[in-house]
Parts: sequence; structure tokens; C-alpha cells
Amino acid sequence: MRKALFYVPLAAFLALSLFLLSGLFSDPRDHGSALIEKPLPAFSLPDLQQPERMITAADLKGEVTLLNVWGLWCPTCNAELSFLTELRQQGVRIVGLYYVQPVDAAFGDSFDIKALRHDVEQKLAEQGDPYLFNIVDEKRSLIFDLGVTGAPEAFLIDRNGVIRHHHVGDINPQNWPQLQQRYQQLQEGDPDAL
Amino acid sequence: MRCNLVLLLALLVFPALAAEDLLQFESAEQQQLYRQLTAELRCPKCQNQNIADSDAVVAVDMRNKTLELVRQGQSHDQVIDFMKQRYGDFVHYQPPFQLSTILLWLLPVLAVLSLAWTVFRRSKDSQTEEGEPVATSDNLTALDAELQAMIDAASQKPKE
Repeated sequence: MRKALFYVPLAAFLALSLFLLSGLFSDPRDHGSALIEKPLPAFSLPDLQQPERMITAADLKGEVTLLNVWGLWCPTCNAELSFLTELRQQGVRIVGLYYVQPVDAAFGDSFDIKALRHDVEQKLAEQGDPYLFNIVDEKRSLIFDLGVTGAPEAFLIDRNGVIRHHHVGDINPQNWPQLQQRYQQLQEGDPDAL
Repeated sequence: MRCNLVLLLALLVFPALAAEDLLQFESAEQQQLYRQLTAELRCPKCQNQNIADSDAVVAVDMRNKTLELVRQGQSHDQVIDFMKQRYGDFVHYQPPFQLSTILLWLLPVLAVLSLAWTVFRRSKDSQTEEGEPVATSDNLTALDAELQAMIDAASQKPKE
């Protein structure tokens, strides 16, 4: 009994070391999402191409969709455009959720959807256009309801409009295989999905 | 030179004016609640900052939402729940008591209890341990006799 007690501090030290070591390899941005297995929050936001058309959660239902949060102001989002375009050519349904940064009225700035449409069209013409359509979230209301912390972020949404996966960071050839697996599971009609 | 210095000082003053947010509250309680909430809510983009402290877009949006909810008269717990539904448990500095966080809550209690137990065991052990003679009423007379014998022996020695 006394001998066993002698090893307790050593065991505690080793356990703490292992715990801290595992922390070195974990992703500090990964803290789960509160919306997994929950339906898309209700929203009604304009289409970037046709601002008079309002997009709602119903427009995303019916097919498995990759909802990608992005913005022209975000360099990583621009860098992933060409890879996402490849994915679109492979048949992945990608919808953009455009993250509008706050405009500072004190500097005389105001939000202009026409100017934005022009800039986005130009960018997508250069880099490739992965998007079926783009939802413009001027006040970041849907972005807030989705628990988005920044851009780029992506959501996998199943046929019934239920959020099945939340991906933080860009999508690239290294991490796509893992996402693709989930995407295909959903497409093949994962029994959990129905 | 002096003119430049004055201009430089003037520049120093302006950011202070611009940074001051003038928020209007209906009551002192609401103001207090807003302060408390923005200190307790954690910015999900930053690694360790509350939303009062951060200027990340998401923290600014969360502050504005907190202000809106507080003005609507929502309680502390309602606002925390609203944020947790969107940003998860990460968003509040107080972790909930549940299966995944049970170690976090129980480890300090276990550590204190096991240390207290060890200290208790040790003090008990040293009382009962043999080898070190302990003076008790039973062996006191025997000890006295032994001491007397030693004194006698010592006082006899110089005579020899």
C-alpha cells in the first residue's frame, strides 16, 4: 500500500504530461458547433445576382448542399475558389453565403449591393465560380444564427435542410477527402438522415 | 518644431474620442447586466478574450446582440442561452456540469479529499508507529528510573 502511494505523484505527472502533449496536436479553433443535427435557421435574404429574389431555407432543401461562408475581403476564401470550382465540376452543389463586413458609417461608407455584385462577378470570372448562387447576408443575421466565427467556414446540409457538419477554415485537397466521405454518405441517403 | 509637437499631441487625443461608445440604457440594472454579460461571454474567434475586450467582427456582433436582448428586458440566463444555442458552450466562461466536463469539476474536489486523507493517514501512522519511544503515563516511571540510573552512573565516573 505504501509502495503504491509512492508512485502516485509519478503517475499524476505522467498523466498531466500526456494531457498537455495531446493539446499540442489539437486544433484550438475546433470547439464544436451547437447546430449539428439541427435544421437550418429560418432566414430570408437576397440573392447576389438578383437582389429582388429572396432566398429562404426551403431553397436549400432537396439536395445535399455545401454552404460556404466567404467574402472578397478574406484572402483564404479567394484562395480556395479554384479548388471549390473543381468540386462543382465534379457535381458538388455549392451555395455561397456572402459575409458582408460591417461598414463604418462614421467614414461615410455604406453597403452597395450593386458594387458588390460587380466585384464578385469580376473575381469569380478570374478565379472560377463554384457557386450555384450567393446569399448576401448584409447584417450577418444568418451568419450569427449559424454560429459562424469568421470566414471561410462551410456547412454540410442534407436533403431535409438539416445541418450535418460544420467545417471551420478553408476546404483544400488535404481535408476534402474527409468531407467528401460525409458528403457521399448524405447523398447515398444515410439512414440517420431520413 | 513646437507646432509639430502640438499637432502630434492632437492626433493622440482623437482615437480616445472615437473609441467611446455611447450606449443608452433604460435603467442602471440593464447597464450593469450588459457589463456583466459582455465580461462573461467569450469571443468564439479569439483564443481567450471576452467579447467586451475583443474587436473581432463576431465579438462586435455579439455585443450588439447582447445590447438588443438586454434592452428587450431579457434576463442574464436568457441571453446566455441565446448565445449558447448558436456558438455552443464554448461561448460562456462558466462550463456546464455534464458528462464531458465532469473531470473539470470533480478533479479539484478529489485532489483536496485525497490530500486530506493522506495527511490524516500520516499523522495517524506517526502516532502508532513503533521504534520511536513515546512518553505515556504507563512507561513514565520506568523512564524516570532509567534516567536516574544514567545520572548515577555519570556522577560516579569522575571519582574513579
